[in-house]
Amino acid sequence: MVEAVRAALAFTEPLWGWAVQSWQWGWSNFDDPVGPMLAEHVLLSYASVLIGLALAVPLGVLSVRYRVVYPPVLGGVNALYAVPSLALFFLLLPYTAFTPWTAILPLALYTLAILVPNVVDGLNQVPDHVRQAAVAMGFGPLRRLLRVELPVAVPVIIAGLRVASVATISMVSVASLVGLGGLGGVILTYGFARDFAAPVVVGIALSVALAFATDGLLVLAQRALTPWARDRGPARRGGRSARRRIPGTGARAREEAAA
Amino acid sequence: MITFEGVSKRYPDGTVAVDHLDLTVPTGHTTVLVGSSGSGKTTALRMINRMVEPTAGTVAIDGDDVRGQDPPVLRRSIGYVIQQAGLFPHRTVADNIATVPQLLGWSKRRARERSRELMDLVGLEPAHSSRYPHQLSGGQQQRVGVARALAADPPVLLMDEPFSAVDPVVRAGLQDELLRLQAELRKTVVFVTHDIEEAVKLGDSIAVLRPGGRLAQVDSPERLLAEPADDFVESFVGYDRGVRRLSFFPARDLPLRSDVIVGEGETAAVAREVAATTGEPWLLVVDSRRRPLGWVSADALAAAADDRDVAELDLVGYGHIFTVSTDSLRAALDAAVLSPAGRAVGVADDGTVLGAVDQTELGSAIWAAGSDDDRSGTEDGRG
Repeated sequence: MVEAVRAALAFTEPLWGWAVQSWQWGWSNFDDPVGPMLAEHVLLSYASVLIGLALAVPLGVLSVRYRVVYPPVLGGVNALYAVPSLALFFLLLPYTAFTPWTAILPLALYTLAILVPNVVDGLNQVPDHVRQAAVAMGFGPLRRLLRVELPVAVPVIIAGLRVASVATISMVSVASLVGLGGLGGVILTYGFARDFAAPVVVGIALSVALAFATDGLLVLAQRALTPWARDRGPARRGGRSARRRIPGTGARAREEAAA
Repeated sequence: MITFEGVSKRYPDGTVAVDHLDLTVPTGHTTVLVGSSGSGKTTALRMINRMVEPTAGTVAIDGDDVRGQDPPVLRRSIGYVIQQAGLFPHRTVADNIATVPQLLGWSKRRARERSRELMDLVGLEPAHSSRYPHQLSGGQQQRVGVARALAADPPVLLMDEPFSAVDPVVRAGLQDELLRLQAELRKTVVFVTHDIEEAVKLGDSIAVLRPGGRLAQVDSPERLLAEPADDFVESFVGYDRGVRRLSFFPARDLPLRSDVIVGEGETAAVAREVAATTGEPWLLVVDSRRRPLGWVSADALAAAADDRDVAELDLVGYGHIFTVSTDSLRAALDAAVLSPAGRAVGVADDGTVLGAVDQTELGSAIWAAGSDDDRSGTEDGRG
């Protein structure tokens, strides 16, 4: 038993050494460059996701209201997503130079591929009877959107935000190639460029930690924003009673179709 | 009063949902639009609050064309109860109910007070006010739906198959509740259903629509069951319309026999005497407070020792009973058919036995109801 533990420790010793070394390096270099680069990472990723959300909501709303708009919008954001990020960063350089916008604009555009479909799905899963009830109560189109449809879509939109923010946090590092990568800079400039492992480990660890923390914040935000969805999963449309009512809905749909 | 004048709805693809509808919905009454799928009943309903615009004709409320008002403004003055309740899942029960008051700009306090009033009115516990819709049962959700529709006290209430998504027991409860509310509030109610039973139960008048959106008949429920205008209405109303129509005739005029009743404590010898003088094969045994215990047959009496208490003899259950003052001929007939003795027991409001009626007497009463058509026909007339 003791032998086995000793053997295991001996086997993992290089890893332990690495971890300790990285921790020491990260700690002693926190003021410069680790801390500021972490802050830059937060700024670049959060700004990208927020700008992406600000664009995705109106695009999603338009796509739901005018259904013909959705296929080209979806095609467009997917095509953008397919463009290598590195290329976009370099293409923007002549216009935005080494300002944060060079990283933020492409990253914001990338989030659209995740956020627009989520906004559209979120709005589409507002049950038809809820939307019709809102019309019948006397909500005008804008008020209906702001006070009924978007609030009911919030769980699905936040689910999209969680995916988009984690993806963006990991992608920010690529911008270090144009000198704007947050923790990517730590990995590239201090790690690979000097053939030194500790900064690489620190950059990866902090990046993953930031992704976890951000995801946790979004979960908390959802709990605070949607107390009504708390004891039913966000994916369950219409809740407990909806399933039972599906036959009725079908009958109505057929009647409407026949009418 | 809501009036449809030559109203049609034709969709661009050529389908006709509503075809030249002329209909008057009187103020303070419940008018039921009934029809199968594709009869345009929901379309007609939605023309009243402009959720559907007619392609021809005019819909007017108290003489004012509904097209004279901005739709959202118009809709705030018309209550609407939708199938499946259509509650806002992100709002509490109280906030759901206060929807229209909030849209009308009432103060928070007044809207909240109104919410509380309405929860009381529709029979919801105050503790439910801070719940979310998915935490309620289907029946409770529909009560919230009704409360929400009534929140701003609109004179007109539109109900689109509101009770079709709940189970039959809950549905019957909600229907009774609506009848009670309507007796109190006297709204102009337009109620859409595909269920003729529901239409007969709730409607002051019933408009039957046939597929293609044409009006087949408008009449009081009783007239509709007595005299369907054509084969379509007849088949829609159902084969047992004769029996169902009996629910419009009160049981209180039935001749009840009290001489076939023997009290607990009487001896078999006395009961035998009663059976012999009345010539009845069955006697009803009641307890000291005159509540029914069961039927005893003349045969059982003949076999019993003279001094036996009738209540200790082999009694046959009395089955259903009917309340003489409130029930209909249909309930009395039902009680008689289900009773092993072939006789229905009529009780007073407090449950004490007034007497029994046999099937022969019921038969004459039913025959009289059938020949009554001419009299009742003048009450409502045809629409």
